[in-house]
Amino acid sequence: MEIVQHKNDIWGQEVLLGVSWDLLWLVVVASFAVIIVHLLVMALRKRAEQPATEGTRLNRHAKSDRIFHWVMAISTLVLLFTGILPIIGVKFGWLTIHWISGIVLTASVLFHIVRALFWQDPLSMWVAPKDLREPFDSSQKPGKYSLAQKGMHLAMTLVVLVVIGSGLVMLSLIDTPFWTRGAWLGEGALGWVFVLHGLSTLALIALSALHIYFGVRPEKLFYTRSMIKGWISEPELEAHHDPARWMPDKIV
Amino acid sequence: MSAHDVMPDIELYQPITVEDAVALAERHGENGWLLAGGQDTYGWLKDRAKHTSAMIDLNAIDALKGIRELAGGIEIGALTSLTEIQNNSSVVAKFGLLAEAVAHVASPQIRNMGTLGGNLVQDTRCWYYRRGLSCYRAGGNTCYANTPEGMNREHAIFGASRCVAVTPSDTAPALVALEAQMVIVGPDGERIVAAEDFFVGPNVDIRSMTTLETGEVLTAVRIPGKWATSEYYFEKVADRNVWDFALVSVAAVMKLNGGNITDARFACGGVACVPQRLPAVERAVIGKPRNDETGLAAGAIASNGAVTLNYNHFKVPLIENLVRRAVRG
Repeated sequence: MEIVQHKNDIWGQEVLLGVSWDLLWLVVVASFAVIIVHLLVMALRKRAEQPATEGTRLNRHAKSDRIFHWVMAISTLVLLFTGILPIIGVKFGWLTIHWISGIVLTASVLFHIVRALFWQDPLSMWVAPKDLREPFDSSQKPGKYSLAQKGMHLAMTLVVLVVIGSGLVMLSLIDTPFWTRGAWLGEGALGWVFVLHGLSTLALIALSALHIYFGVRPEKLFYTRSMIKGWISEPELEAHHDPARWMPDKIV
Repeated sequence: MSAHDVMPDIELYQPITVEDAVALAERHGENGWLLAGGQDTYGWLKDRAKHTSAMIDLNAIDALKGIRELAGGIEIGALTSLTEIQNNSSVVAKFGLLAEAVAHVASPQIRNMGTLGGNLVQDTRCWYYRRGLSCYRAGGNTCYANTPEGMNREHAIFGASRCVAVTPSDTAPALVALEAQMVIVGPDGERIVAAEDFFVGPNVDIRSMTTLETGEVLTAVRIPGKWATSEYYFEKVADRNVWDFALVSVAAVMKLNGGNITDARFACGGVACVPQRLPAVERAVIGKPRNDETGLAAGAIASNGAVTLNYNHFKVPLIENLVRRAVRG
């Protein structure tokens, strides 16, 4: 199985086309394998009692952050479906939907970066040495975000920035209502942009699959609820977080 | 790059039934190549710009040949030669638009060899693509025609999406105007596709100009009786009157009542990757008299939405004037 695909043109020159889409099936199978293994492990484990959802409600996500999250989620899913379906043979006019979703994703990520840097605590998402003890010490509870959440955010950040960067280069090379296509990039460099876009897309598929899976796991469902409604209960805070490291405001 | 005198080494298959042809096409998949009149095929293969390991020659399948009467309409086998269609009395009497369009294909020699199916599914003539460059249509990442230096005089003014190639077929706009149906047989059986939906633009599939899938064979074209004996107009503008592909062509059918147009369909060739329907023109002329005044008004809106490239601005007044002449008659 090859990682990238080439084509020999009529003069025998090798042209780099992009990532080999055989990898798509590898990523899909690997993602499902991880999910199935996790399902089996969790099924064998004794199920912990879930903390009560009653009691004082504590603010976990502001409305603007929730809106950002779901706009980003929807645009990412639209990008994945419009990008991948034509590759597996579903034919439709995908390109306009794809690049508009890409613009929406880019705008929402820019909003998030500005908000996180100037109105929030960006360090709350960075992995600190103390966080690394979490997987090995059950008494070690996280602050607002667990090590797994920080790891997912870090990976998503890297992958989304690559997919946006390469996507914007590709967008500049097609006609839109706002500009006519440029021809500023050589064929070889363009091939590498397609490779980056393809690899980051494959990573995004895997990360999205895992993110959605963990988002709907029974013991994590309260996080998904907090991303919809904004709050977690006080018992949930005490069960899953260290109030000394993160004490959210009460919702009155 | 130059054309070779000889064909490359290819396995030749000569089925005598459609079922065998479909089975062969399915077995060989992307490596199989369906051969009809060969007027598109031999250029590709002798230029070494495309390759195949299995040539499936359809010419021994009698079921794909001939013109048959249907209720009010006709069915034309995909392997019927263009000359036979041009000279068929039923086609001439009922669907003069198609006979006229066929008569404008290339040259008499090519019409003798070329088939209706081949004329419909032939690949685009964008020279960057035909010369074997790794453009979008060839599976690459760019379009060489739509660049500041690109020679794009023949290319699209409608419906471009990364690729700016146009349909080279003269019969396709006529069949779209006549609301023809394509009969396609594949491994899963027969399916019927409206001519208008048979052709696909690069926004949907940048590698193919039709909805034909690997393993499928276009077996016939059915023309319903709806437009039989209607008023029609066909005009093709090319650099030379013989042999060349259309820079712009117009195919139109109209029904008249008391001098007024009661129904109409217009399709243009050479301006988009697919035969370009002109629904705004059709709406504008229905209910109006067929005269130059209506033609002038219709021509003015025929180019709405056109996006020109560096060297094909001339197609805008060309399509406007052709539509004007089609309406005027």
